[in-house]
Amino acid sequence: MSDTPKEQNSIPTSKVQRSAKFVKTGFKIGGNYIKHYSKKLFNPELDKTELNEDNASDIYKSLSELKGSALKVAQMLSMDKNLLPQAYVNKFSQSQYNAPPLSGPLIVQTFKKLFGKTPEQIYDKFNLKSTNAASIGQVHQAELNGKKLAVKIQYPGVGDSISSDLKLVKPFAFRLLGMSEKELDIYMREVEERLLEETDYELEVRRSIEFSNACAILDNVVFPTYYSELSGKRIITMDWLEGKHLREFLQTNPSQQLRDTIGQALWDFYNFQQHELRAVHADPHPGNFMITPDGKLGIIDFGCIKEMPEDFYTPFFSLTSTDLLSNKEETIKAFRLLDMIHSNDTPQQVEFYYNIYKQMISLFAKPYITDRFDFGQTDFFDELYGFGEKLSKMPEFKQARGVKHFIYVNRTNFGLYNILHELKARVKTDTYKPHVVLEY
Amino acid sequence: MVTTESIQTAYIDYVLTEGAQPKSVYIFAKQNEMSEEEFYRFYGSFNALEQHIWGDLATKALLEVGTQEIWPQYTAREKALSFFYAFFELLKSSRSFAVYSLSKQPKGLGSPVVLDQLKTVFDGFAGEILNQGLESGELSDRKYFAKRYKDALWVQFGFVLNFWIQDNSAGFEKTDEAIEKGLNVTFDLFERSPIDNLIDYGKFLYQNGGIKEKMGF
Repeated sequence: MSDTPKEQNSIPTSKVQRSAKFVKTGFKIGGNYIKHYSKKLFNPELDKTELNEDNASDIYKSLSELKGSALKVAQMLSMDKNLLPQAYVNKFSQSQYNAPPLSGPLIVQTFKKLFGKTPEQIYDKFNLKSTNAASIGQVHQAELNGKKLAVKIQYPGVGDSISSDLKLVKPFAFRLLGMSEKELDIYMREVEERLLEETDYELEVRRSIEFSNACAILDNVVFPTYYSELSGKRIITMDWLEGKHLREFLQTNPSQQLRDTIGQALWDFYNFQQHELRAVHADPHPGNFMITPDGKLGIIDFGCIKEMPEDFYTPFFSLTSTDLLSNKEETIKAFRLLDMIHSNDTPQQVEFYYNIYKQMISLFAKPYITDRFDFGQTDFFDELYGFGEKLSKMPEFKQARGVKHFIYVNRTNFGLYNILHELKARVKTDTYKPHVVLEY
Repeated sequence: MVTTESIQTAYIDYVLTEGAQPKSVYIFAKQNEMSEEEFYRFYGSFNALEQHIWGDLATKALLEVGTQEIWPQYTAREKALSFFYAFFELLKSSRSFAVYSLSKQPKGLGSPVVLDQLKTVFDGFAGEILNQGLESGELSDRKYFAKRYKDALWVQFGFVLNFWIQDNSAGFEKTDEAIEKGLNVTFDLFERSPIDNLIDYGKFLYQNGGIKEKMGF
C-alpha cells in the first residue's frame, strides 16, 4: 500500500495485483485437482497425499511471494515465523474477492431458509444483482419503508472451507518452512479463531451495534444502523451509506484540511477503541471505509474484532512511552512479559533482542511521542519498511517470538498507519492516549 | 375417503416403520381400512406408488417456483437453479423416505426405476427451459449436442441427489454449493464458448486454408 517506487517494482502492491496472484494460485489448484482425478481414473488406489502436497506448495508459493508487500506489518515486529499466519490472514481476506457472485435463485433460497420468505416478501424492493463484493459475501441494495438498505449475504460453506483449507495446508507449510508445528500452533489458532468469527454474521451484527453505540461520541465518524430483526446467520441488513471509497475519494484531490479531518477521525476511531474499549476493529482495509458527501468517515464491516487482554495491553502500550523505554530493566521486563525475550535466552541473546526490539518499538511509537504527527512524510515509512526488510533477513528472527496478540494488533496499527499515509493526513495524536505504567 | 395423498402418507409411514415394503397390497389395504380395489384405482403396484411420490415432489417444486414473482424474468440457467433449490428444500421433509427408496435400488448404470415418473416431469421442464435458452440465444445451438443438453441436466440432477444423500452438513449447505457450482459449470458448457469458436476456426481453415490439397484429399 505504500507509494515508495522501489517497492512497486519488486512486489505486488495493489490489491488488484495481489488478487491476481491468488487467481493464479486458484487456477493451479484447480489444475492439481484435475491432475489428481485423471490419474485416479487409471489408478483407483491413488490417495490424496500428492494432491495435498501440490496444493500446499502452490498456496505456499503464492503466500511467500506476497510476503514482501502485504506482510511488512508482521516483519516490523519481526516475528518472521508469524509471517505464515499473517499470510493466511491476507490470503483469506483477499482470495474471497474472487468468489463468483451468487446466483439469484441461491439468494432466494438463502432467504427462504433463514426467514421462510423470499426477499421480495421482506423488502419493498430488492436488487437481485449484487452491487459489491464483501470479504466473504456480497452486498445487495434494497429498500424498505422508503429507506435505502444494504443487505450483505454470505457465500454458503465459507466457514467449512476456511477450516478445511487451514487443515490441509498447515502440515505442509510447516515442513516447507522447516519448523515445528507446535511452535506455530498458537498463532495459527489465533488466526483461525478470528477468521471463523468473521463468518458468524449474528455475532457481527451484535458487535456492530455495540461498537457503533460506544463510538457514537467521536467526531466525524458515522455508522450505518443495523437491523437485527432482518439479519441472521448468513444475512445482515443495514442502512445504505452513501459515499466514496478511500481510493475514489483520493482521486477527487481533496483539500489538505479535508484529508486531515478524515485522518483524525480514523485515528480517533482506532485509538478510542484500543485504549478505551480494549477491543478493536482489526481490519483496516480501505474497502471498509466510506467518505460521506458531507466529509465524514463512514465505517462498515465489524467482522473482525480483536480483544486485547490486560496482560498484553499494558506491557505493549507502556513501551510507547519514552519514560519506560529509557529504563532498560523495565523494558526487558516488558519484553519478557510479551514473550519477545524468552526465559531460556542467553545474556547475549537478551542484549541482542533488547536492542533490536527497542529500536523497533521506538519507531512504531513515533506518532505517539509527539502530540501531532504528519503521516504524509515518506521518511518515516521508508525507515519503517527498511527496518522490517533488515529484520526479515536476520537469522536471529527465524524463530517465532512474541505473544499471539501481536498478529492482529500489528495488522491493525500498521494498516492504520498505511491508510493515514495514503491520505497524507496530519493528525493530532494525543486525543486518546495509551494508558501506561512505568514499572512492573 | 381414500385419496392419492392418504395412500402415499400411509405407505411412507409403513415403509419407514417396517423398513420394507408391505408383503402384499391386500395386507396394506386391510391395515389402512380400504379395499384392494381402492388401492388399485390409484396405483398398479407399490413401485408405481413410489414413482408417484417422487414425481409429485417434482411437480410440487415446479408449481412453487412458478409462482415466484421473479420467475418470468429468470434465464434458463436461473430457472434450473431455482428448481433444484426448491426440489431439495421440499425433499428435506421426506429425507428418510428418499434415503430408503433410493437405497433399495440396485446400484448400476441408468437411473433408478423409482425415479421414472420424476424423470418424465424433469424432462418436460428441462426441455422447456432449454428451448427458451436456445431461442433467446442464451445457450449455444450445436448440431447433435443441443439435443443432449437435457441428458446432461438429468445426470447433474442424479449427481446432486446422491450428493444430498451423503451430505451431513448443517442445513445441507454443501448441497446448495453443489447445485450452484455444478449447474453453473453445466450451463457454462451449454453457452457459446471458446470451443465453438475453435471448431468454427478449424472449419474455416479446412475450407480455405488449402489443407485439403496439402493433406492429399
